Amino acid sequence: MEVANIFETKEKGYIYGLMGNINLTTNNNHYNIITPYKFSGTTKEYLNSSKDSSSLKMVMLNDSYLTKTSRECSISELKKINLAKALIENKDYIVLNYFEKELTYQEKKYFERLWKKLVNNFHKTIIIFTNDLTSIWNITKELIIVDKYKVINTIPKDKYIEFIDNLNKPEIIKFIELIKKKGIEIESYKEVNELLKAIYRIKEHDHEISN
Amino acid sequence: MKELFKLNDKIIYDVDTTILYTSTFKFTDDAIYFINHKGNVITKERTTISYDISDDIFELFNESELKNKQDLSEFDELKLKILSTLKSNSNIYIFFNVLTYLDKPFKEKLINYLKANNKRIINYTTEIEETLLLDYLVVLQDNTIIMEGKKELVLQEEKILKKLGFNLPFIVELSNGLKLYKVIDKVYFNNEELVGELWK
Repeated sequence: MEVANIFETKEKGYIYGLMGNINLTTNNNHYNIITPYKFSGTTKEYLNSSKDSSSLKMVMLNDSYLTKTSRECSISELKKINLAKALIENKDYIVLNYFEKELTYQEKKYFERLWKKLVNNFHKTIIIFTNDLTSIWNITKELIIVDKYKVINTIPKDKYIEFIDNLNKPEIIKFIELIKKKGIEIESYKEVNELLKAIYRIKEHDHEISN
Repeated sequence: MKELFKLNDKIIYDVDTTILYTSTFKFTDDAIYFINHKGNVITKERTTISYDISDDIFELFNESELKNKQDLSEFDELKLKILSTLKSNSNIYIFFNVLTYLDKPFKEKLINYLKANNKRIINYTTEIEETLLLDYLVVLQDNTIIMEGKKELVLQEEKILKKLGFNLPFIVELSNGLKLYKVIDKVYFNNEELVGELWK
């Protein structure tokens, strides 16, 4: 599916979520799709820019990667190097194709901050294609659901939990649904700490009533 | 425990195992090793082979629509690739960070199917939630084993996991918090069990 067609009417300078069972492609020169592409030669030759070192630093890699070939890199490192290449090419749209897979939690949090910085400071448009709602629900303007040929739903930020299908429901949402099935009134939380406090309050309240 | 494989200094025991790795780990050598030892190795790499899958497998996994589907996505192909291996004689399945790309119902059906058919599962992943799927857990940084043991024990080493960049699975983090607040007195690894304990 040509990703540029999905976003031609969307406002630039935001982070968007994208979900669906599709293959993303683009022939549009304003778009960069980030994949673990295996380049030939060294990273330095591939990046081919005086900004190679600073771009690698932005994607959590140091200068030791400049002399490495793609065969010497893990999948996560290949994704990061291709992101560094996209930063050098400076296109308007960066499309992250399941980018968060292969990253640790700490790295995911770092990249969430980087996406915000790219949007706020450089007016980039970031498109996060994923099946993991938790990796986008705090940072995206809206979530676009697509199938092979068209957009089938556009969900605003405050409605993600209502509309997410069963296939990819986050654990915290499944847990809250189990609580509701017990007849307990509880809000839909996205953070464990908020849920924890809510459960504590409910249990305290139950305890007071029973006494 | 009985030893199943030995990869350099890494012993794989005869128990369903998650191998949780940090993002610098390259699994190519391990994949080659398992292929050479007749393991059923599943990676995300696309292949051009045709898939031989029986109707009962399609139906069991609710994936009959894939049978004649045109223009398969890479996720469809990944499912077909997995389904086509299920009738093989190999007794061990090694997944190299592929389960994370699958929807949850398919993933659960797959694990249940393999367990019911007495297949041994080894799952390489960076996703902490997947550590709850299998019994034994090995934590790798590059090629070095940092911790290993029953998942219930390893997942209680919060400081080490966080130092490596991991968080805890949702249910373990919630249990830890509720334990700290003295609402419960042990850590749970299953949503239904914890809700059942909170509201009997």
